[in-house]
Amino acid sequence: MSAEFELTRNITIGQYLPTGSVVHRLDPRFKLAAFVVMILAIAICNTYVGNLFALAVCIWMFSVSKIPLHYGISGIKPAVPFIIILAIMQLLFYGEIANGGTIYLKYGFITISSESIRLVVVSAMRFVDVIFLSSVLTLSTSTTELTHGMERLLGPLEKVKFPVHAFALIITIAIRFVPTFAMEMEKMMKAQASRGADFGTGEWWRIVRRTKDMFPIIIPLFNVALARAEDLILAMEARCYVPGASRTRFAHYKASSKDYLALLFSIVISVIMLGIPF
Amino acid sequence: MSTDPIIRVENVSFAYQLNQDQQVPVLQNVSLEVFPGEYVAIIGHNGSGKSTLSKHLNGILTPKEGDVFVNGINTRDKARIHEVRSRVGMVFQHPDNQIVATIVEDDVAFGLENIGTAEEEMKERIDFALEAVGMSAFRHRPPHHLSGGQKQRIAIAGILAMKPQCLVLDEATSMLDSYGRQDILAVVRKLHSEGMTIVTVTHHMSEVAEADRVIVMEGGKIVLQGTPREVFSHQERLQELHLDVPDASRVAALVHTEYPAFSPDLIHNEEVVAEVNRVYGRRAEASGS
Repeated sequence: MSAEFELTRNITIGQYLPTGSVVHRLDPRFKLAAFVVMILAIAICNTYVGNLFALAVCIWMFSVSKIPLHYGISGIKPAVPFIIILAIMQLLFYGEIANGGTIYLKYGFITISSESIRLVVVSAMRFVDVIFLSSVLTLSTSTTELTHGMERLLGPLEKVKFPVHAFALIITIAIRFVPTFAMEMEKMMKAQASRGADFGTGEWWRIVRRTKDMFPIIIPLFNVALARAEDLILAMEARCYVPGASRTRFAHYKASSKDYLALLFSIVISVIMLGIPF
Repeated sequence: MSTDPIIRVENVSFAYQLNQDQQVPVLQNVSLEVFPGEYVAIIGHNGSGKSTLSKHLNGILTPKEGDVFVNGINTRDKARIHEVRSRVGMVFQHPDNQIVATIVEDDVAFGLENIGTAEEEMKERIDFALEAVGMSAFRHRPPHHLSGGQKQRIAIAGILAMKPQCLVLDEATSMLDSYGRQDILAVVRKLHSEGMTIVTVTHHMSEVAEADRVIVMEGGKIVLQGTPREVFSHQERLQELHLDVPDASRVAALVHTEYPAFSPDLIHNEEVVAEVNRVYGRRAEASGS
């Protein structure tokens, strides 16, 4: 019973796995940019060999960042039904559109050609590539670094009045308060349980009942969240925060040659991937 | 000139608006000056207006009537509010609710980013601030693993980095355990000895005894003011206001009723010890001769 309420002990935000590899030590701005380049290349590339090559690179990246491959594979598992459904849909309904190559089967509206098969296989591979890539990224970069990197990369959008700082601040504060609210929730669950409340004992299919069980937690949690928000606003104002005002940024990172190399590497990989003719 | 006050509160009244035609008056015609290097404690029971007063000191609240000046700048002046708030820093009650970043270092940088400190200077100021509160070793840690006292020290560092002249502590120790409180008091003592002006709003009378000047609030007004010794000598008046006196004062007063030779005006524990030695020594001498 007690283990149910230990929310704070095993809280993980994101899924950072600190192994201290080269990939981990990359400047997050460059790392993020390199990943964006590679994901774009994967999205464009529609050849078998190109995608196989991408897959090989992804697997190689796991070993470089010293992250066991099963972390990536466990990321694919939940996506498998989705990939299969998508593949079936594409196979059945996309024949008309991707109708080049040899036609193997034509039955009513269903057309299966070498082109439509290629589309199906390549889409499935793209999924796997993207999941592998984003796993490497999130496993090798802490959420804080990710926000820093994102804020810097989105920086130019300030020119078109997109509130990048505010956006990054919102994410940072959200991450910052996850453990606080987990602790708060733990306290409330214990308090309610000690007064006879009952959590999670209903069968899983009785969704309404299980949702109702959570009300005595969720409502006070909202209440507390609002009170905390008010305090936080005061503290932020006391430290001269003015929404939308121009601010400077604390510089965390200094790009070194290895960061440029990583970006260059991602570009080279992308060019190779797109250059492969099959 | 050094005799100019840092903060000048002039005939300030304030009321919270309950609804359209109902107001709750919180401050009534309060005037107060805080001078450079002073250590001022504001006490009063719940609802006496002490916290509201402290929130006027850096323009978080602006008065309904009257004015507050920080270094001659009116806190109503929205264009110069940065100057006001970077000179008078404020630490609040809940250590958890004032930290905005996921890493200690980032949190200390927050205020600096807001006032537009140059990137090169930031690192230096963060080093200085974390060093001042003894938290340098924690700079890359996430704040949620720190204790209450450590979080509060980070909050102080966040203020110090902005190089304020005055630090306002709004019940900053009330949520801490006694170790945390001792930590914060040690930091505050050190800052004060280095010339920082301190204004503390507190329930803990032992903290009050360290101040140069004590201000007692009741019903939105200042009802007593003076050195801790002067204020704590009005024990009956304080009792009427539901305020405690330091343990040392209470003990001294009780002993005084039994032995008139024992001084009642003591506020520090060490003073009681010294007084006991003095009185006991004299009695021993008297009986010996």
